Amino acid sequence: MARGVMLMSGGIDSPVAMHYLLRQGHELLAVHMDNRPFTDDSPLEKVVDHLALLRERYQQAIPLYVVPHGSTQITLMRETDRHVGCVMCRRFMWRSAERIAEREGATFLVTGEALGQVASQTLSNMRTATASVHLPIVRPLIGLDKQEIEAVAKSLGTYEISTRPGVCCQAVPPKPATRSNLVQILQEEERIDVEQIIDDCVRKAVLL
Amino acid sequence: MYRTLRVCSSRGGFEAIPDPPRELDLTVVRARLEAADVPVVDARVLLIARLESEVTISRTGRLLFKTADSALADRTFARLRPLLEGGGASPDGAARGR
Repeated sequence: MARGVMLMSGGIDSPVAMHYLLRQGHELLAVHMDNRPFTDDSPLEKVVDHLALLRERYQQAIPLYVVPHGSTQITLMRETDRHVGCVMCRRFMWRSAERIAEREGATFLVTGEALGQVASQTLSNMRTATASVHLPIVRPLIGLDKQEIEAVAKSLGTYEISTRPGVCCQAVPPKPATRSNLVQILQEEERIDVEQIIDDCVRKAVLL
Repeated sequence: MYRTLRVCSSRGGFEAIPDPPRELDLTVVRARLEAADVPVVDARVLLIARLESEVTISRTGRLLFKTADSALADRTFARLRPLLEGGGASPDGAARGR
């Protein structure tokens, strides 16, 4: 089976997506983009607890990379159009995940995205965000609705972890763009040193 | 300007909203925080102040205290409020209306 890198947020969806691929026998590594100081410690704690459950269930080691993302958020908020901040943020998450995948010999990326659940998960924004990477992206939950995903999460025991109190991402703009175009995003990225930012983040990533 | 401190929607902290609504000049707020030796991260559209608990200060005036400890949120709010409103000493009363 193939080796993939899974983006884990601490939310309800990502452990469910991971469960489907582990069930098929794929080998996965987890990447958590650490959004502090725009969140509190709870997303990382939730990811650690999600992985403990899934490691036990599937008897797989599932290494976890924690990638610092707060300084990237600060740069994006200071230097780029905040309206498209969620898409820009997402592009950096994908790039970091892809770098780690290359380092680890993984051949695909995985996400818990389901169509239309949040601002970054419209087709337009998914396309713009994932244009930043080359590896194939697997979305096991893409056509499921929230109730279906929650039912699986409850059966896995991950739902109770995901719904613990926590501070939501404070970098989300009041009205995030639900439609984005790549030309505008590339223009925004010309204002910042994308490669330097990714280099820094991946270099500072911690393997737990 | 601020009257209440309440649990935020995700239950992970406490928030305060200006009443009546009022925008903050974050450049001024940042200068006051720094003058009071409060470490601050400036993300242009919001500030993150490192007081007893970490606080996000939005341009809209919304404050988010990243702690589930109500007493700690109260103390942090009491220290922060005069810095936002331009006063000198911290008020001795904690937030009301939770």
